[in-house]
Amino acid sequence: MSLTDRVLGDRQRLAYIASQAADARLNVELETEGMTLNIGPQHPATHGTLRIIARLDGEQVVWAEPSCGYMHRGYEKLAEVRTYPQVTTLVNRIDWLGSFANEVPFILAAEKLMEVEAPPRAQHIRTILFELSRIANVSLFLGDLGVQMGAITPVFFAFRDREYVLNLIEGATGGRFHPNFDRIGGLKDDLPKGWIAETKAVMKKLRTFCDQIEDLLFGNEIFQSRTRGIGVIPKDIALQFGLSGANLRASGVDWDLRRDHPLPMAWNKADWKVWTHPDGDSFARCWVRLQETREATKIVDQLLDTIPSGPIMAKVPKIIKVPEGEAWVSTENPLGEMGYYVVSRGELGPFRVKIRSASFNNISVAPWALRGVYVPDIITILASLYFILGDIDR
Amino acid sequence: MPKVPGMVKGLGVTLGTLFETVTKGANTVQYPHEKEAPPTRARGVIALHEGNCTSCMLCARSCPDWCIYIEGHKELAPPRREGGKPRKVNMLDRFDIDYALCMYCGICVEVCPFDALFWTPEYEYSEPRIADLLHDKAKLGEWMETVPEAPELEAGAEKKKK
Repeated sequence: MSLTDRVLGDRQRLAYIASQAADARLNVELETEGMTLNIGPQHPATHGTLRIIARLDGEQVVWAEPSCGYMHRGYEKLAEVRTYPQVTTLVNRIDWLGSFANEVPFILAAEKLMEVEAPPRAQHIRTILFELSRIANVSLFLGDLGVQMGAITPVFFAFRDREYVLNLIEGATGGRFHPNFDRIGGLKDDLPKGWIAETKAVMKKLRTFCDQIEDLLFGNEIFQSRTRGIGVIPKDIALQFGLSGANLRASGVDWDLRRDHPLPMAWNKADWKVWTHPDGDSFARCWVRLQETREATKIVDQLLDTIPSGPIMAKVPKIIKVPEGEAWVSTENPLGEMGYYVVSRGELGPFRVKIRSASFNNISVAPWALRGVYVPDIITILASLYFILGDIDR
Repeated sequence: MPKVPGMVKGLGVTLGTLFETVTKGANTVQYPHEKEAPPTRARGVIALHEGNCTSCMLCARSCPDWCIYIEGHKELAPPRREGGKPRKVNMLDRFDIDYALCMYCGICVEVCPFDALFWTPEYEYSEPRIADLLHDKAKLGEWMETVPEAPELEAGAEKKKK
């Protein structure tokens, strides 16, 4: 960009501000000044305590900003005073709908520093549980999506079918929401007998659920007219704001860490597809997530057939001391890229942990995407961006 | 063939589900009257086998929110063999778990070197007062009856070393 361009840009911006001020004066004269609408912190559409401050001009949003931090729990700081095994139980609670997926990057980062690798059986089971948590997370999104637009039925379907997946996770790990099953060097325990057959039956049910949601919601004319062409995020804007996961793929960027980023996990042992959508609107984001749930059931099915036998724990000392160093590992979590930057000083616990969670970046595009939309579309766009408050505030 | 409107298709799905619910029964369970059995691995409540505990404090130290309180003292016990020295035995005075703080992570059960702590899938122990959620060793001992056998493992799993 040349200097003249920048000056011209500034001039244009000044002209814009002046015209806005003129409009405001006009509004004062006509007594139709804008109003500020506070959505949240307690609002069913915010999945927790997110506050959206929207300045309206009639029915249109002039300016909107999400105000985060109402649920800040300080996990980065809490992790500094805990040992490595204790941290996994904390990071479970970041994205509470897909909690097993939160443990994996942290454990992988610690393993990278210790230079141990989980045995193949542990990698397989890890990947299966990772994908199950993705299914549990995204299937709830698919139901919740309907509720945000006034359709109550899909959420009952979603809760019914998510329960099957949660039962599986509980059967294997012992915890429905907070498995705490990953250990440095492997897993806590092996799978109980009969779990594989049960999982296969549930995956079949989940595929039926995906078909049902497609008929119930995605084919519905009201749903389509409320989401198609609403909240369009173009490719370059999505990349600039650092979107990840399905939000980025819905803008037409073929990007998936599971495929692109080699990790000691078993994704490359299954045959699956990364779905993208060229539109970048709310519908595209929802559609990509629906396809992802289907792909995840396929990954689980394929990996279940090929679980190698063997140990589930590598040889690690009983008291874990991670050697000095720094490591960054990120994985493709249900919501997008989630990564941990672990700094170790050779002690029992990490010296510093930086958590990159997907929702924080996904919600940061909201001021851009919400500008100029109508009030009911705020909820639709936020729902389709899909964030979890624990994942934003950490 | 004309395209079926999406709304009609959606109604078909709900009708199908209605038919399924009427014929096969509902998925929901009327809780206080019927109960679902949690899986054997479910982490409901921690049981304490008092005889195995040596008050070594490993569980209390490894708890991520430090909700286990242990106090103990040493006592002299009669010697095992005739004419030997009296043995020193750890006596457990207090073993409390504050379930109002517990995160149900299971680290204490895992680190226990003497198999004194066990998970049981029991879950009905809510209290009207939060202070009553502090279970002492008598109450933790009562849970021992409900500890299930560890489930068999899936094919291909390595046998646990004992």
